Parts: sequence; structure tokens; C-alpha cells
Amino acid sequence: MRLMKTSESYIFPYVDIVPQLIANSVIAGAIYALIALGFNLIYGTTKFFNLAHGAVAACGAYTVFAILKIFALPVNVVVTCVIGAVVAGSIGYGLDKFVYLPLRKRKASNMVLMVASLGAFTAIQAVIAILFTSQFQALESSGGVSGSVEVYGAIITHTQVVIIACGLAIMAVLGLVAKYTLFGKAVSAIKDDEEVARMVGIDTNKIIGRVFFIGSAIAGVAGILIGFDTGIEPTMGMNLLLKGTIASIIGGVGSLYGGFLGAFVLGFAENFGIWKISGEWKDAIAFVVLIIFLLIRPEGIVKK
Amino acid sequence: MKSEIRNEKEILLKLDDVHVHYGGVHALDGASVAIDEGEIVALMGPNGAGKSTVLKAIFGIAPVHSGEVLWHEKRFKPVPHEVVARGIAFVPQGRRVFKYLTVEENLEIGGFIVGDKKELARRMAEVMETFPALKAKRRTKSGTLSGGQQQMLAIARGLMVDPKVLLLDEPSLGLAPKIVKEVFENIKEINERHGTAIVVVEHNIKSILGIVDRAYVLAKGKVAAQGKPEELLSSGVLEKIFLGEK
Repeated sequence: MRLMKTSESYIFPYVDIVPQLIANSVIAGAIYALIALGFNLIYGTTKFFNLAHGAVAACGAYTVFAILKIFALPVNVVVTCVIGAVVAGSIGYGLDKFVYLPLRKRKASNMVLMVASLGAFTAIQAVIAILFTSQFQALESSGGVSGSVEVYGAIITHTQVVIIACGLAIMAVLGLVAKYTLFGKAVSAIKDDEEVARMVGIDTNKIIGRVFFIGSAIAGVAGILIGFDTGIEPTMGMNLLLKGTIASIIGGVGSLYGGFLGAFVLGFAENFGIWKISGEWKDAIAFVVLIIFLLIRPEGIVKK
Repeated sequence: MKSEIRNEKEILLKLDDVHVHYGGVHALDGASVAIDEGEIVALMGPNGAGKSTVLKAIFGIAPVHSGEVLWHEKRFKPVPHEVVARGIAFVPQGRRVFKYLTVEENLEIGGFIVGDKKELARRMAEVMETFPALKAKRRTKSGTLSGGQQQMLAIARGLMVDPKVLLLDEPSLGLAPKIVKEVFENIKEINERHGTAIVVVEHNIKSILGIVDRAYVLAKGKVAAQGKPEELLSSGVLEKIFLGEK
């Protein structure tokens, strides 16, 4: 907490922390949004909870870690991040192609697909731990962003500015793609009725494969940015998955805008929730918000 | 009534001795159907006779256990998007428009395989000309349209690929008689204007026999009779199959 400097701060001692709480909420919201966007994109077309999504995010972060730290390749940090996102996207695409698609062709239920994704999550997490050890690692780079800015009294690091900018930019691009491209409309058609989408000539498996690539690449971006912000560990995917899933559910599962909105609602609830109590309560607050939504508005903020 | 009564035109689409099994249920049990260029053919029969399954078998969304599906006398393995690319469009039962998309977006999706934007726009203009009611509602979410308008949109969506064969599954289901008449007029108009062959699964026997060239009557997954409408009507085969009269 910053020291109270002004006379107003003595009168309103709690107001001083509000800008920082808002900034933290927006940063957390942007991170959750990046996870929720990919998660909702995949859920919308396949109608199952892809639990491997969190582990795929970790893959993006560890790819960057491998390039910058282990192999210390002289690659620009932005290019490295793009490679990390592409690797995460490719892993998501591969999971669909070699695990989920064969199951869908066998008419497997959504429960079976979810269990398969849990298996994929566990396997990916284990592979990461074997390859990189279970130790917590820092992901800073000499060529990366460093330093911080002060906005209305709130301190925001440059990495966090990038997180917020990426969250907003990716949401905007996805919104434009959904509204103005035939691919986006095909995704909407599959979301609405996959069988009819096939009947009108859409190769739905191909589109779903692309959705997995895009959604997983976005998750990879989230993993990389979190890595630069707070560091990485093989189990980082679980927390991301939980928060992304909660954001999706409270925003409206399967809805692009819903997931985005839900992420920021969750970010604000968590950060303002721990204003007067220990930060350890953050996860508990997230689940309380989830339960409240499940009880009073199970369809989420954004109704179809 | 079982003799092949068809004109001299080329056979576009053929099902030869097709068997479709859903677990232990034989939805089609050796059905053979042929569709010629530019004709309207009805598939009729009581519930569970296998009418809709014939369309689904053509489209690759019913599990064909044995038998052949032929396009221009050549055998092919039906896969939905490849079937559409061959020039066969399917309008499913219950309309099933994409309710969260607008009328225009539904049509764009109907022409998904077209690819070229100019061609897509040309076809959309042509389809709107056939269905002027849709033109006025082009920016409306299709889920808010009336049942009749949704049926027209579903047919229009099928026409976006400029099909050689249009498969219609129960187009009159759940519609008011006045709307049904309108839908049937549209079907006839599409056939006459574009020369599109149309296969209609229909329970509304009297209305559909007024517009078709030929009809197949199915019972228990087999073709029980086929012929021209007047022959089927005069033969008493319809009463026999639908009412079980001897």
C-alpha cells in the first residue's frame, strides 16, 4: 500500500488504495479474459469443458522459457512470444485432431470428452514437470518490457500494461472476426446447430480444429504474459483454468462477450473482496461469486 | 406399381439397395430410389417408414450399413460437405435455421462452399428475388421469424449453392394450411425456374401429390410402391399402406 501523503488521505484513509485495487482488478480481469476467451470459443463449438486448456496455456509460457532461458537463443522477445502462442495453438489443435475428434466421431458424450481433456491436462502438466522440473521459474528477459507507470496513484508494470492491451486487442479482433468474416459466421452456425452446419456444407471438423488452434494460442498468450508478470511453474495451468472457467460461467458459458465481461466481474470481485481481508481469500471469493451466479443467474450475465 | 416409370432424362442421384441400421433397428431395409434431372419426387409413407432416413443416407448423416449411393451413376461415400459440393442441398425437418444469425447471415452460411464474395452476393440477390419476404427481413435475427418465414429461409439457404438436387424433409410440418400452400408454390417455382430436381419427404399427401412428377411410397424401410401421382391415387396403394386396408 502506498503511504498516505495528502490531507484528504487522512480524512479518507481507505480511498488511497482504491486506484490500485481498480488497476489490480483490471489486470486480473484481462488475464482471466484471455483464458476465458479461448475457453468459451472452444466450448461454444464443441459443447464440452476442455480442461486441458489451462495446461496448454502453460505450454506457451514454457516454450518462451525454453527459448529465452534454456537455449538462450538470440530471438526477439516478441517473436518468441509469437512462437510460444503458435506452439500452444498447435498443441490445442493436436489434442483435437488426435484425441477429441476421434472421440466425437465415435459419438462420445461430452462427459467422456471432458474426462479425456482432464487426462490430457494431467499428461501435459507431467511432461512439463519432467522437462523443466517442478521449480518455480522467472520469465524475465533483457529484451522484454520492464519498469512501471503510475495511473491516478496506481502502480502498473509495463508487463501488466501489455496484459491489459492484449486482453482488449484480442477481444476486439475476435469480435470483428465473429461479425465480419465467413469463418466467424461459420463458428456461430456450429455453435447454434452443428448438424445443420454440416448439412449446409461446412466442414465442421476443420472449423473446430481451427477454433482449437486459435483458442489455445490465446491461452498460450495468457500463459506467456503471466509468466513475464509473476513467473511460471508446471501447475500454473490449474489456477488459470479455474479462473477462466469461473469467468466463463458467470459471464455466460460459450459466449465470447460473456466470458470477457465475466472475467472483469471476477477480477473486480476478487480484488475488492480482499480489500479488508487477507489475500488468501481470493480463490474462496471467486468460488463464492460462482456459487451466487449458479444460484441466481445460472445462464450468466450475457444471455444468448 | 413397382415398375420403373421414369422419363428419358439422366439419373442424377440413386440409392441402390441401401440398408441403414440404428443399433438393432433397420430404418432402411434395402431401399432403392432414383432421381432424374429436373423432376419433383415425393417420398411418402407412415411414421417410421424410413422417408427421412433416405435423405439422411444420401447426405451421409445416417449410418449406411450396406448398399450404394450413386451420383451420375458413380458410387460415392457421402460426406456432408462433399455432398453439398456435388450440388445436393438439404433442408432439414423443423426448419432449423441458425436462430442467432440474421436472415442474410443464414444465407451467407448456406453459400459457405461458394467462397467467392461476388458470386455469393449474386446468388443472394437471386434467392431474395424468389423469396421477397426475406429481403425485407434481411437484418432480422432468424429466430424471431414466423414459422413460414423460417421455412422459406431454410429453403432459400439450401438454394444458395445453386443445387442440382434439393432435398426437403417435411417442409409443411407445423405450418398453417395457407402457408403450406405458399411453400408448395415456392417449391414448384424453384423447380420450374431453375430446373432443380427436388425430393420432398411429406406427410401431407394430398397437397404434395398435386405438385410432384413421381412418388415413392415407403413402408418398413422398403419401397412398397412408386409411380405417377394419378396412378398411385387410383391404385388404392396409399389407403392400403397408410390405413392398412386390404
